[in-house]
Amino acid sequence: MSNSIIQQIRNVARREWKRMLSRPIYLLSSVIAMLFCYLFFLTLMSEGLPEQLPIGIIDNDNSSLSRTLERNINASPQVKIVGKYASFTEARKDMQKGRIYAIIDIAPGFQADLLANRQPAIAYYVNDVYLVAGSLSYKDLTYISELMSGFILQQSLQAKGITGEENLMPILQPVAIDTHQIANPQANYNVYLSNVLLPGVLQLLIIMFTIYSIGIEMKQNTTREWLSTGNESVLAALTGKVLPHTFLFTLLGLMGVFLLYEGMEFPMNGSIAWMSLAMFLFVMAHQAIGIFIIGLFPRLRDAISLGVFYGLLSFTYAGFTFPIEAMPRGAQIFAWFFPIRHYFRIYVNEALNGVDIRYSLIYFTGMVTFLILPFLVYIRLRKAIVHHDREETKNSRFNEQLQ
Amino acid sequence: MNNSNKPNFFFRLLHELRRVIYIMLDEYRVILKDSGLTVVFLGATLVYPILYSSIYRNETIRDMPIAVIDESQSVRSRELVRRLDATPDLKVAYQFNNLEEAKEPFYKHKIHGVIYIPKDFNQKINRNEQATVSIYCDMSSFMYYRTMMLGANFGILEAGNDIKVERMNAAGITGRSAEISASPFRYEKNILFNEPMGFASFLMPVVLVLIIHQTLFFGITMLTGSLREEKLVTIDPQLRQRGKFFPTIFGKTLCYFTLYIVVCSYILLVVPRFFQFPHIGNPLDIIRFFIPFLLAVIFFSMLVSVFIRNRETALVIFPFFSVILLFLSGFSWPQSNIPWLWKTFGMIFPSTFGIQGYLKINSMGAGLPQVQFEYIALWIQTAVYFLATVFAYRIQMRTTER
Repeated sequence: MSNSIIQQIRNVARREWKRMLSRPIYLLSSVIAMLFCYLFFLTLMSEGLPEQLPIGIIDNDNSSLSRTLERNINASPQVKIVGKYASFTEARKDMQKGRIYAIIDIAPGFQADLLANRQPAIAYYVNDVYLVAGSLSYKDLTYISELMSGFILQQSLQAKGITGEENLMPILQPVAIDTHQIANPQANYNVYLSNVLLPGVLQLLIIMFTIYSIGIEMKQNTTREWLSTGNESVLAALTGKVLPHTFLFTLLGLMGVFLLYEGMEFPMNGSIAWMSLAMFLFVMAHQAIGIFIIGLFPRLRDAISLGVFYGLLSFTYAGFTFPIEAMPRGAQIFAWFFPIRHYFRIYVNEALNGVDIRYSLIYFTGMVTFLILPFLVYIRLRKAIVHHDREETKNSRFNEQLQ
Repeated sequence: MNNSNKPNFFFRLLHELRRVIYIMLDEYRVILKDSGLTVVFLGATLVYPILYSSIYRNETIRDMPIAVIDESQSVRSRELVRRLDATPDLKVAYQFNNLEEAKEPFYKHKIHGVIYIPKDFNQKINRNEQATVSIYCDMSSFMYYRTMMLGANFGILEAGNDIKVERMNAAGITGRSAEISASPFRYEKNILFNEPMGFASFLMPVVLVLIIHQTLFFGITMLTGSLREEKLVTIDPQLRQRGKFFPTIFGKTLCYFTLYIVVCSYILLVVPRFFQFPHIGNPLDIIRFFIPFLLAVIFFSMLVSVFIRNRETALVIFPFFSVILLFLSGFSWPQSNIPWLWKTFGMIFPSTFGIQGYLKINSMGAGLPQVQFEYIALWIQTAVYFLATVFAYRIQMRTTER
């Protein structure tokens, strides 16, 4: 056996591959889990923006005008009237069953009041327990109402002799709004979520896999054999162990990057190369966190519980659904301790805003910083690995005596 | 002890019952003795609801910083800027001379939107033309986008309405009738069940049910796995007494069930009241609805744990599934738009029905009749997973005895 550290690492890495393949349940489940999530999230929201959201109507006016409104609503792609109700109670009950996300209530005498200039009202009821469906159906209903009321105003203006678009529009809508939804003009919901949810799943798998692969050596009393493969060098043993995982997870991660930005054609206004680098660092940072956790609590069961806790909290601290700055001040600080936060910022800079790389350097640095973590617990972890044998032998002898 | 041969049926029943109780108490002992299990069953269920509720406490973004570029520099444009700043949603943090200057803070994530009022804004209004205001939204988060649209639309439409009335006066429509013609009918928005349109009120009820589902699942699989590892009993440790697994199943179930009735009451009834999330449901209905939910989760977890050989297995492999379950429930991406394949897939898991049922009863004030679909589905799951568990135990026993 060569004494060079490279050789030692290579030996440990070879051993690790063999271990992974001899009990392939963890390897397979990680790979399958990731592939399954790619399939799940990208097909679940493939519509981009939910269409034909079911809503209900109570038309107590039953006039030509109310029917026109109903037709206009049904013509819009975003919502669809699936229920007509005689009373509000009836409609509310269906809303409580989750069948409709919004109710349009047109009171009797709507058309008559309108023609008599009494400015009648339509009531919209929106169920914001389903925030996305509620917000979207309300947005659409407002839009249609504005169109309707513009249409009616237009007719009364035309009666006054004001005709032609260039004369009508300044009165109908004196200030037009020109909206730029930067990089996501359709407000595609899939883009919001999948860009961060999928790396989120990946980091969870990486942390668990790293903790498991080290912890199981202690649990199964194979640390001696592991260390000797690395010629008693803990550094070589650790590096050799996680290197095959780095390769595996980087491959899975890059697959996601290409799937999103090439396959699904999600917005990419920067460079895929920088995103790929970010993904590589993302993988390494989470391996470092995994080592840190098992180093801190060198017992598989404790480390795994902590790993799950941290990995699930990552989804919150990415800040992609609920922004960090809207959290209580005391909770905001922790965002720095999650590589996914830095990854999220790099993704926004590169994929969405397409900005110069200098704006992202701090986040790249942030992710690299996590690589220090294993060195912080190095001594503790070495102690755990080296002395594990002795303790375990002692314990098992103790157990034997008990029995 | 072999008094099961006693002829008296009543005594036999009593004896079986005592065994069930014994196994239940034994299960409690195992849980309390094992710090890892205590952490999952009692620690996580206590801490997670408080932790997540605290993080999402603020519900919405207030005074989101934006930049304004007012090239018009007129009374009207300055009025518009004031209006935008006055909305609860937005805060004009910067005023710049051109769009280029706004890029730097936008790229540094100091602002989440830009409003651009062009040079000809005032001229166009004075010349009776249609003026345009451009808004640029940060699309990195749905919340930024929604806040920007709410605030900017409100501010700009309000300014537009004033001008509209002025112009109608000029067109010969005056007074109240101008106002009415400007908006021939009104529309009132009524938010039902989540009035603050808050994020916590939307997410937390879902998370609470998921916490119950997942801690129960991971706890049971962990417990079974570690019993298997420690080889406490000669045959399968699942079956503490050879051949008799009904008392085992019932005893274990009774243990988890009694424990989680308490946990459920805390998570589903106390937490929403304490943190002021929606809670208009009837507490009794919630408890009644969660009886089949708990049973379904328990039997589902027991069934899965038949395949679990080690303590850590489930906890290493399945945490990612929490995210899948969250989305299968249809609280975010609407249920009406979930592809049928995934909708069917979601029916495998009690969480799908549990979350929908809880949202409907707790957040929307539905009664049990309105959640009949979910309620029956959970009972069907309970029956199916119970039978499957019995079946799996049988097979397992036969193979271990051989």
